[in-house]
Formats: sequence, structure tokens, C-alpha cells
Amino acid sequence: MIDDAVASLSGVSRTYGGIAVLDSVTLDVSPGVTAVVGPNGSGKSTLLRLLAGAAEPTTGAVSVADSPGPKPIGYLPQRVPFRDGFTASETLAFYARLVDADPEAALERVGLSDAADRPVEALSGGMRRLLGIAQATIGDPPLIILDEPTSGLDPGMRERAFRTATRVATDGTAVVLSSHDLDLVDDHADSLVLLAGGQVAAAGSRGELLADYDVASVDELYRAVVGGSVATDESPAVHVTGVSNR
Amino acid sequence: MRGSLAGLTTIFRRELATVFRTPGYGVLGVGLLALLAGIVVVGGGGATGFVPAIVDLLLPTEVVVPLVAFVLGYRALLTDTESGEFAVIRTYPVGIGGYVLGVVLARVVGLLVVVGAPYVLVGAGVWLTAAPDTGIFATHSGVDSPWLYVRFLAFVVPFAATYLALATAVSAIAASRRAAIALGVLTVVLGVLGGDLAAVGSLTGGTSPEAISGLLARTPNGAFRGLVFEHVVGVAFAPEGGFIATGRALASLTAWTVVPTALSAAALAYGRRLDAFLEGIRASRRG
Repeated sequence: MIDDAVASLSGVSRTYGGIAVLDSVTLDVSPGVTAVVGPNGSGKSTLLRLLAGAAEPTTGAVSVADSPGPKPIGYLPQRVPFRDGFTASETLAFYARLVDADPEAALERVGLSDAADRPVEALSGGMRRLLGIAQATIGDPPLIILDEPTSGLDPGMRERAFRTATRVATDGTAVVLSSHDLDLVDDHADSLVLLAGGQVAAAGSRGELLADYDVASVDELYRAVVGGSVATDESPAVHVTGVSNR
Repeated sequence: MRGSLAGLTTIFRRELATVFRTPGYGVLGVGLLALLAGIVVVGGGGATGFVPAIVDLLLPTEVVVPLVAFVLGYRALLTDTESGEFAVIRTYPVGIGGYVLGVVLARVVGLLVVVGAPYVLVGAGVWLTAAPDTGIFATHSGVDSPWLYVRFLAFVVPFAATYLALATAVSAIAASRRAAIALGVLTVVLGVLGGDLAAVGSLTGGTSPEAISGLLARTPNGAFRGLVFEHVVGVAFAPEGGFIATGRALASLTAWTVVPTALSAAALAYGRRLDAFLEGIRASRRG
């Protein structure tokens, strides 16, 4: 693990049904917004699940640096999991009580104050996702993992989600996120990891990778490293996430 | 508000709110009330007294209470693991023990209301319609009394708790709702019939009839039935007792509650590691 790394994966592999989804991945996650790019089935969600502790690696080790606060990791899974029957405010209050945080401030941070009294099941998909981001950031964890936080959001909401992620990725916080929107990744990510076939095809700071591959954007970088067409929300063939290489 | 107790109470509050906001559980309670009242009415009504009513309710209780407990518990832990919310909760300072206890305790409170209220209402109905001598608060044998009904209720609650704990364990082990239902049905059938069939089997296998009360005390249904005979029904017509060893029966009900709860916590704590271990074996076989 490098000195300022917030988390690291060392020789991590994971199989499902005996089939490798991630294969010998070694990465360090540093403060800042980081992203991983790869086609469907390249192992992005598995990587994030392993990092969040939601799954155990078949081989290798995942380590997360000690946290000064009560919550070392903030995690938003690909499918927002909140219970129906509770309002947005009640949902966040439940998590806030666990870490002595202010739920109202967290709702305000993602612009959901006006929807505080709405039941979770009555929120739009995008609003649920913003609520998920609020949950992941509550308690100021040093590592925040957001699995496709912009999925299902309109362009304005996507921008807001990325801005929120960028805002919290300060003061030593590492945000690892995935998104279909390479333009926003280009605008906000500090580091990139490109996954292909469960392996790291390229990783490093965004600037270095663009220079190494002599390309002008993340979109072009993806084409150069992974190949094929870049997915959009209409054809979700590509995901983007952020981690940095070792 | 931090620490394991704070985590437990926070989980407890959310789970309790979930139970009380689930309309189906209210319907379940009303259905149970109708069933119990119907059984008492068919058995002669409240005028016959508390002990006859308890005798009428005993067998249905052994079947219906486990079913209600399973309905309340078979998704208790599965809901969060299936939706992915358990993975999110695990990123907070909540221990698995506190999480499981919070869920189980809240469900027990729900069970007290859904199961307890119908029995209390039926008991109140018997009291209101009972013949004059059943209103006597008897402390000796041979006389019907509301206290005997209270004792009966006192045994129904831990009996129901054993099946709730078993249902919770099923919800921790099952990978899907369908699997939980299948496992739950199997557990209820085994629990309701298995103990008695095993006792009969051991008798035909040469076990002494004197040992039968000890054998029955090992199962939740046998322990519950034995306690009801020993301390409720038997008081009225067989004061010498001898149906079951009370301590052993109570210990059995306690064990059937504590062990499945501990198993639930162990399943959540080590399930992912076990899964990764098994995956490693599968992968090495393919490789």
C-alpha cells in the first residue's frame, strides 16, 4: 500500500460459480475522485463490492486504512436498497443515528430537502440514488464507494451527483465511483482504472494515462485501451469507476 | 449515540416500525383471533370455562402459532441481505450480534402483539361469558380460573418465540424468498410433527415409557404441551403432575430460542467467508 492510500487490493481474485470475475487485481486507492472503466462483465461491481467489504475475495487481500471516525466506508450499491414504507428523512435518520450525524444536512447536501417527507417508494429512481449518495457520505467516511451513482439520472442530476462526489473528495477522502457518463468522468475524475475481462488493463492518474496513450479524453482512452464502442445510458455497455494503480 | 447498544436500539426501532407498518401482520392477527374464537365457540363457548377452552385451543395453538411466527420471521434477515441493505449497514458501527438481536427483539414484540392480542381477547371473552364458578380466582386444584389461562398465555409466548427464532435462522440461511418459504415449511412440519413421531418411534424401538416425558421436553411442541399439561390443564384434574420436568421443558424452550438466534448471527458473520472458500474450491477444480 502506498503512503497516502486509503485502501488497497493485493492480488485479489474473485470467482462466481467457478468462473473468474476478477483476476489478480492489485490496486491502491488514493484520496480524490477515481474511476474504473470497462465493458459489462469486466468486474467493476465486484471490485467495488470487495472494496466495500460486501463480498470476500476468493484469493488475495483487501485492506482499508484505519478510520478516525465511526464509519470507515460509505457504500452505495448498484441497486439502491432502502426499505419501502419509510420517508427519505426517516431512512437517512436511521443511518445518521448510527454515526451521530445530522440527517437534515445530508439531505440538503444532495438537494433532497424538499422531498424529505416523501416515502422512499414514491421517489423517482434518480432521487433514490441521490438519497443513496447522501447515505454513503453521512458520517464523513474516508472512503466512499458509489456503484453507478448516475445510473437513471437526467443530465442535471448526473452533474449534481458528480459535483457532490467531487465536493466530498476533499480533505483526504477517496471517492470511488462508477458511471456511464465518460464526459463527467473526464471533468471530475482524478484517477482512472480500466478493467477488461476481470483484469486491470490500465490504471493511474487521469492526466498520466491520457499522456501515455496520447489521447485527449477519457472517451478516447477507453477506445484505445479497451476497444469497442463507448456505452451511454441508452446502450449501457460500458461502466466507469475510479481507483488508482500501484 | 454510539456503541453496540446504540446500534442495537437503532436497528430495533427500525424493525419495529417495519412490523407495525406492515398491514399484512394486522390481518394475520385478526385472522388468528377469528380462528381462536371460532374454536372456542365450536367447543361449547366461553360458558364452559377456561380449562375447557385451553384444551380446545391447545392442539390448534401447536400448529397455528408456529405458522404465524414463521410468517413474521421468515424474511426478517433475508429482506436486508436480499436487497443489499445489509452490506450497507455493515459499513456502519453495528456489530452482527447487535443487528441480529435488534431484528429478533423487534419481531418478538411484533409477535407478542400479533399472537398475544388474539389470545388475550379470547380469554377476555371467556371471562365475560363464563359460568359463575369460573370467575373464582382459584389457587388450588379442581377449580377453573382465569389465572390458568394467564399461565397458558405465559407458555404460548416462549413457545412462539422458539419458532420465531427458528424462522429468523431460516431467513439468515436462505438465499431467496422462495428458499426461505420452503425451508420454513419444512421446519414447521418437522417441529410440529417430528418430535412426536420421534417419540413414538423410540417407544417402538424399546425406550421405556417413563422416559417419554423427557424425550418430549426436547422439542418446542413437546415442551410447550408438557408445560400446559403440568401447570394448566393438569391442575384441574391431575394435581399430582408428572407430565414433564418443568425445568427441562423451560430449558428446552430457551435453547430452541437462543441457539437459532446464535446460528443466525453466525450465518451472517461467516456466510461470505464460507461462500468465498467454496468458490475457491470450485475455481481450483475448474482450473
